[in-house]
Amino acid sequence: MGATLTARLAAVTRSLGALAIAATTIAIVLLLLGASPLAVFADLWRGAFGNWLAATDTLVKATPLVFTGLAIAIAFQGALWNIGADGQLVIGALVAGAIGPALGGWPHPIAMLAMIAAGAAGGAAWGGLAGWLRARREVNEVISTIMLNFVAVQILSWAVHGPLMEPSRSFPKSVVIAPVAQFGFYLEPSRLNLGMGLGLVVAVGCHLGLFHSAAGFELRALGRNRRASAFFGIPIARLTMGTMMLSGALAGVGGAVQVSAITHRLYETMSPGWGYEAIAVALVARLNPLAIVPAAILFGALDNGSQAMQRADAVSPVLVNVIQGMVIIILVAFDALAARGIRTTLWGGAEGAGGTVATGAAAEAGDA
Amino acid sequence: MALDGVDFRALPGEIHALVGENGAGKSTLINIFAGRLKPDSGAVELDGAALATGSPYAALKTGIAAVYQSPMLFERMSWEENLALGGFGPRTLRNDLADAAGRARTIAAGLGFKLPPAGAPVERCSVGERVRLEILRALSFDPRVLILDEPTGVLAPAELEAFLDTLRRLRGEGRIVVIVTHKLAEAIAVADRITVLRHGRVAAVRMAVETSGAELARLMIGEVAAASMNAAQVPTRTSADDPAPIANRGAPALAVEDLTLVGDGRRLLDRVNLSMTAGEIAGVAGVDGNGQRELVEVMAGIRQPTSGRLRVVPDRRAIAVIAQNRDLDGLILDMTLWENLLLAGAVRERFVCRGWLRRSRAIAFCAEVIAGYPIRAAGAASLAVALSGGNRQRLAVARALAGEPRVLVVHDVCRGLDLRATAEVHRRLREFAAAGGAVLLISSDLDELMALSGSLYVMTRGRLAAVADGERDAERIGLLMSGAAAQP
Amino acid sequence: MLEAFLASTIAMATPILLAALGELIVERSGVLNIGIEGAMLVGAFCGLAATYFSGSIALGLLAACAAAVALNALLALLVVNFAVNQVVAGTAIDILALGLTGVFYRQWFGVTGSAITISPMRPIALGPLARIPVIGPVLFDQSALVYLAFALVPIVALTISRTRYGLELRAAGERPEAADALGLGVYRLRWQALMIAGVLSGLAGAYLTMAYANTFVEGISAGRGYVALSVVIVGRWNAWGVGAASIMFGAAIALQFGLQAFGSAIPYQFFLALPYALTLIVLAFMGGQADAPSALGAPYPRA
Repeated sequence: MGATLTARLAAVTRSLGALAIAATTIAIVLLLLGASPLAVFADLWRGAFGNWLAATDTLVKATPLVFTGLAIAIAFQGALWNIGADGQLVIGALVAGAIGPALGGWPHPIAMLAMIAAGAAGGAAWGGLAGWLRARREVNEVISTIMLNFVAVQILSWAVHGPLMEPSRSFPKSVVIAPVAQFGFYLEPSRLNLGMGLGLVVAVGCHLGLFHSAAGFELRALGRNRRASAFFGIPIARLTMGTMMLSGALAGVGGAVQVSAITHRLYETMSPGWGYEAIAVALVARLNPLAIVPAAILFGALDNGSQAMQRADAVSPVLVNVIQGMVIIILVAFDALAARGIRTTLWGGAEGAGGTVATGAAAEAGDA
Repeated sequence: MALDGVDFRALPGEIHALVGENGAGKSTLINIFAGRLKPDSGAVELDGAALATGSPYAALKTGIAAVYQSPMLFERMSWEENLALGGFGPRTLRNDLADAAGRARTIAAGLGFKLPPAGAPVERCSVGERVRLEILRALSFDPRVLILDEPTGVLAPAELEAFLDTLRRLRGEGRIVVIVTHKLAEAIAVADRITVLRHGRVAAVRMAVETSGAELARLMIGEVAAASMNAAQVPTRTSADDPAPIANRGAPALAVEDLTLVGDGRRLLDRVNLSMTAGEIAGVAGVDGNGQRELVEVMAGIRQPTSGRLRVVPDRRAIAVIAQNRDLDGLILDMTLWENLLLAGAVRERFVCRGWLRRSRAIAFCAEVIAGYPIRAAGAASLAVALSGGNRQRLAVARALAGEPRVLVVHDVCRGLDLRATAEVHRRLREFAAAGGAVLLISSDLDELMALSGSLYVMTRGRLAAVADGERDAERIGLLMSGAAAQP
Repeated sequence: MLEAFLASTIAMATPILLAALGELIVERSGVLNIGIEGAMLVGAFCGLAATYFSGSIALGLLAACAAAVALNALLALLVVNFAVNQVVAGTAIDILALGLTGVFYRQWFGVTGSAITISPMRPIALGPLARIPVIGPVLFDQSALVYLAFALVPIVALTISRTRYGLELRAAGERPEAADALGLGVYRLRWQALMIAGVLSGLAGAYLTMAYANTFVEGISAGRGYVALSVVIVGRWNAWGVGAASIMFGAAIALQFGLQAFGSAIPYQFFLALPYALTLIVLAFMGGQADAPSALGAPYPRA
């Protein structure tokens, strides 16, 4: 167990180290841009945790990242490279936002559950489509999920300009959902709501499912060695479909929660890129569902703080994208350095992203 | 330790045979020569200059070319392109395939090699054609040293004489030819000197004219090792005193009827018939790539046969399979030992309750297995990657037997294991059979097959043919394996 | 009408074709380059910015290529030398490029409040050819990048199938350890491929800002890099197929202008989604990896 603990500590250290290096590089970029890094970081901090309200808003901003982060973590554990959490979140939000106005008169808890179920169903359908394409038509899930992201955005745009548009038809937004379908805020004026609590429960559920269930075991086996999994009769096609549906459902719930708790209606843009940001969240969390929560809060804080930073320092909030990209790059580079020689680490397993195995090659190496 | 203080010397203009048992270190040694492995200590010198070890291309450039049993070819490219990527290809802008093919034809004609039809991709070539292509590509580099790993097993007898002539011609040009073989008669016939490896050490160096097959066999097996093992487990060239379980003495365990598998437009398995009874060990000999893997995959239930039947008593779940490539098909190296045990469905179902894993029970069971075998490991929660090759195979055997199967299908189960681990695995297989199990032993190691199996089959091009009792000698089976002597 | 549609098809196909030819070379060497979207984006931004500041189209093109090559060098370091997962690294490159172009755009041009414009690359009419009815203006009165893109199709096809370099490239993508054993230098081949792709995706991006839109908006590549990835699959890893598939996708994008102009009852979002939906449908019918290079996407850490 001692060895495992050391390995975990090393992994956490690499995650934090990646963040530190990213921050340093950002500081240099800011200097080049003529801004003061210290002032920018101070404003970033103030915006994220400067007061009680800011801190609660950080949690609110982290909530969708918990769900999309879990979606990515579950899929990546099975070496299914779901880049489509964004589209899955959008479709989840769309389905929830579409049924939301019709829930008036339902009991409050049931209406909220209906919203969540609607989000899960929408996301599962969108993720399941990519899963089906992968399992039955050999379509690389990376490409299909990216394409589905673009399609989802257009469907949402069409919905809020068309069938779901509010009656005055002056703005591209949908009808407000029924009050019973709304989550309601605790401790107003903060926007704290049920969402983060739900995220925690779902994260624990994902952890149990991944590490304590037979299906989770099969998924992790599939992600680490596709050939051996096939050899031992693990149902790869079924697992692929199921995992992509679950992954999509998680992201879709994130979208439904956003509609129920924050926006209460649909707008043309429902995600500022949470599905892509989730990749950074999931990697920093080492694809561990429980670690997704703190990682999501970290990136939620960055998002939240960046808005204050924009007001105070006139630095674009897309700087957060730079941080996300750099964190991922530095992290995978660190891991590669630490794991060099172990070929079947997650980042260099027997199967690569394209769904192809260099069979002869691998067999060759195995014989040597 | 795969090799221990080996001194090996070959002289210009000689054919040097390297003989030894499976696991004696032959492959390790030639992999070091060819730059595929780095020795922990020691050096390789060619013509007095030290070689940079650990780089295949550096070895190639200094004049060492190697041909392996499983060729390093580009499967989806044409054979001409494969040869052009070797020394035939002019390093010019234009890729002159006709020129490369022409030069290859010249050498091939000299060797009596028949080349595949023009433009054929390698994936359509037979195993024999692939080895010939690889030999041609090795020769295209005009090597000072040519290393051949068991090259004759896949050559047709008609080609064999021409091929041995080629080796002699290469020797005549002052080159060194190192030939790895387990056919002692062939070693004596073609080689000038023979180095015998045993247990990672050089057991003896003999001039071919001064030794005999009997002496080499004794040197290979070793008197110490022979004494330490049950005499019956010592691979011998005769089967008269072989106490291996005999066919047809128990109840039926496995019946395969007209099993055919079509894939890639070929018959990978071609009307395979086989029946086994409880307590029997049946051996399947053959050169790799003749349908063994596909047979194992059908047995494992991961491929559905195109036609024909497979019956197991009492049902399909009574079959356990140990795959040929344990690191790729058999284990998940970055999962823990207990999780690797659970990979087998028969084991997993004992530790899954309504979809949930009973982790602590599984870990306790794994600890028992580790202690019982014993497997040298830090504990049930350590990663499989930390195990040595022998311990990995023990884990695979333990897992197969833990499911309490009635039929055990094993494919090259002792490849790469040392003698002790090999003997231990053989003992487990015998015990399993003695307790009423049936073992299908698929192997490319003839000695192992002859020592363990009651009935013996040979697999060529997807077909399974029984070996009559009168044909149970290495030379005859070798001929059958090459596919040249299909007629009785 | 037809003429406008065809012209717009060619215009839309060009950036996809340029990027897809680069991606084809990279994939033949065994690397799946998801970062192509990011490379197009930095090309688009740097091309425009350099042209804006220097007033020189040539410097703009140079800057576009240099920026995309630099980004691909980072990717090459990660996926070739560090042998990290190619999807994760490529996605990170895309996110990074989106962030970097956004930050610099707002820092340099954002304060003015209005979109910056440049005088674009002018179409070059090829003499009498341009006067042929219908196809003349469509095919022979285009920007130099259009001619380059289509001229590259046979060049890339022949390079891959007939030259020594193409042979070695394919070897690296089929079985890298065997290629290394023959001294072909897999790392070198993959680096070279990524550098070539950098130039091509830089030009593809530059086309968007310097020949087509004449301005920059954040995320202007709008998934065209990802479409290029699909084009390589649909084109069965073959330059001729890539050329045909690019024209098909160009037509799908051009369709939105044509049908919107008709005042069709179909919502415009349908046409905006069409190229992506079409990609999915086409891939569902021919998305199989059977023709893909065997080692595509598999990390190859050299021992």
